[in-house]
Amino acid sequence: MTGVSRPLVIAATTVFAVLGLAPIAVMLARVSGADLSDVLGSARTASLLGRTLWLGLATSAIALAVGLPFGFLVARTDVPGAALLRPLGLVPLMLPPLFLAITWTAMSDLRGAPAAVLILAANTFPLVALFSARAFERIDARSEEAALVAGGARAALMMELPLVLPAALCGTCLAFVLAVNDFAVPDYVSSVGRKFNVYADQIFNSWQGAGSSGRAVATALPLVALTLLTLLPALALRRSGAMATLGGDFQRPAALRLGPWRFPACAFCAACVALCALLPLGRLVWEAGGGARGWTAAGFRSALATALENERAFLAASLVWSALAATLCVPLALVLGHALERWRHGRKLEWLAVLPIAVPAILFGIGEIVLWNRDLTAGIYNSGAVILMLFVGRFVAFPLLISSGAVASLDRRLEEAGELCGARPATRLGRIVAPSLWPSLLGGWALVFVLAMRELDAAILVPAANRTVIFKVFNRIHFARDDAVAALCLLIVFFILLPGLLWSLFARQRLEVLP
Amino acid sequence: MSVAIRLEGLAVGAGKRTVLGPLDLDVAEGEHVLVVGPSGAGKTTLLRAIAGLARPQRGRVTLFGRTASEGARIVLPPAGRGVGLLFQGGALWPHMSARRTLEFVLARRGVARAARRARSDELLALVELTGFERRKPGTLSGGEAQRLALARALACEARILLLDEPLGPLDAALRAELLARLERLQRELGLTVLHVTHDPAEARSIADRALFLRDGLLVDGEVTP
Repeated sequence: MTGVSRPLVIAATTVFAVLGLAPIAVMLARVSGADLSDVLGSARTASLLGRTLWLGLATSAIALAVGLPFGFLVARTDVPGAALLRPLGLVPLMLPPLFLAITWTAMSDLRGAPAAVLILAANTFPLVALFSARAFERIDARSEEAALVAGGARAALMMELPLVLPAALCGTCLAFVLAVNDFAVPDYVSSVGRKFNVYADQIFNSWQGAGSSGRAVATALPLVALTLLTLLPALALRRSGAMATLGGDFQRPAALRLGPWRFPACAFCAACVALCALLPLGRLVWEAGGGARGWTAAGFRSALATALENERAFLAASLVWSALAATLCVPLALVLGHALERWRHGRKLEWLAVLPIAVPAILFGIGEIVLWNRDLTAGIYNSGAVILMLFVGRFVAFPLLISSGAVASLDRRLEEAGELCGARPATRLGRIVAPSLWPSLLGGWALVFVLAMRELDAAILVPAANRTVIFKVFNRIHFARDDAVAALCLLIVFFILLPGLLWSLFARQRLEVLP
Repeated sequence: MSVAIRLEGLAVGAGKRTVLGPLDLDVAEGEHVLVVGPSGAGKTTLLRAIAGLARPQRGRVTLFGRTASEGARIVLPPAGRGVGLLFQGGALWPHMSARRTLEFVLARRGVARAARRARSDELLALVELTGFERRKPGTLSGGEAQRLALARALACEARILLLDEPLGPLDAALRAELLARLERLQRELGLTVLHVTHDPAEARSIADRALFLRDGLLVDGEVTP
């Protein structure tokens, strides 16, 4: 293992193994052959899996159809307002999908499968847009000009599409993974209209109903396989998408002129932002201010004050745990991401690094319970520590992939120059690699913070995580809907968006949130 | 005069393919040797193997009589070889100012904190970068960046200087200036220089001899310029 600090890697791997892999391993150990044959032979399993597959395919197809042109327009063209539309296009991804579900089902008659598909597509299209935008931006100006000279805009598009498509498909794969593993949206859509069961429901019911962890895991295995089958190509596509377009003396391409298509293109982007972010947020503002009873600014302020007063402890707990989890994830991701990239066999282990996000959140939550709910570890299980471990274990894969991607684009000779001067691997990591990657490391921090703030599926099961503010919202919307719930949702959104907002106000460099 | 660099049957591979060697070479102490070859000939690999950054497949590298690598075994780590490498393009740390770059290296070499400032100022003066202490690589011109990279290589207490296409990005005037500086430093500090380039005209005026490298092998022995 050359170029990496052995003690640091061993320490980080141990932490990752305990927090990220042990909950999965302990669950897998509980599956019996009988459970497996029961579940796999069941017609219900096949039907639910088919339905979940359909949900994932439909969601990711819409995400691709919307995200690819959106990413292209805001990153590469002279569409009016691109500088504003681009960050606004990220907002839907940061909103808890549950909030999109509660607002869109309130604003329309959308129910059942179409509601789940459209809501999840609205939530995940920014992933495709982000990947596509980055890939479009990385096409060298000279390559584009050469294609333009050779055959005009059509030739340029034909040249660029194969370079951008791997990145866009990588985003699409991630959208698929998020959609097939989501529990909260289909659950909520079912609670307000026609029942729409998906596979994650089945896992939840296997655990809640029968209380059998072995059966719950056996139930989850086909979904885990499906997710891994999607994630592994996504990892490969991410590499080809990143590498194909980077050159040493890169020249940024100029914005393409849309001519008479500028305003229709702007309308398309604005509609995406409005439908997926502004309208749902507007609905929450409307509900918080009195809604159908008549909106007043005083009512809105009062609802916000009430929500803040009543749920202050939950909000504070979520903020503290999310921030702590993100802070712990960053050094862990730096060490492991660097090792994955620089160690000769590192890339072969990427699948292990993404395992915590390949298993459904519900299953990961059950794993936490099985692992820590013992006499010896009761202190941990009943404390906030288990929430921290849940968040770190589940989400560290994201900053890890971001940091390994950033290391891949870092000139290896910077580290070699340090090695020649006598800097040890840990010093090189801390003093040469980390400062060069800080937009990616901070991007990883922000991503874990956002994901932890909106984490619901696993938090539903782990009792200590029931003290999070998103769980509070989930509980309250199933029993009552009042102004304060909408106000609480707005407070959560505000805190989720805050790090990104502060960054865009005070930093010149773009936050790197892509692997 | 003693031998500074001795390569005996040195071969370096990428995967199972051999990209350099086997080759034998002696470079005397204080000598400036130019290795000329086309792109892909193995020039950078040769320097990396001498610096200890590339693991050889076989052969031996001896530096000032000490075995640095034997077969695939690295005996002396890169930092213990007394070698400074001027990377192609500089490979300067983008987040560090000129002074911080040198102080970082001096700290790794065990120079006491109190002495680092003075020593880094000396090194900057040596490459005529006084006044550039707070400047980061992104704000330096091509020639200034190469001079900072040279100062960094010298800060490693190098007795052997390995130069990887050091004049590549520079225009004719800057090339002449950097070559003159290299010649002066070599003479003053008694450095042994192994200098690789794809340009046969580069540095012939100051090199003691020139060798040709093609497809990883030294061709037709040694050629005196």
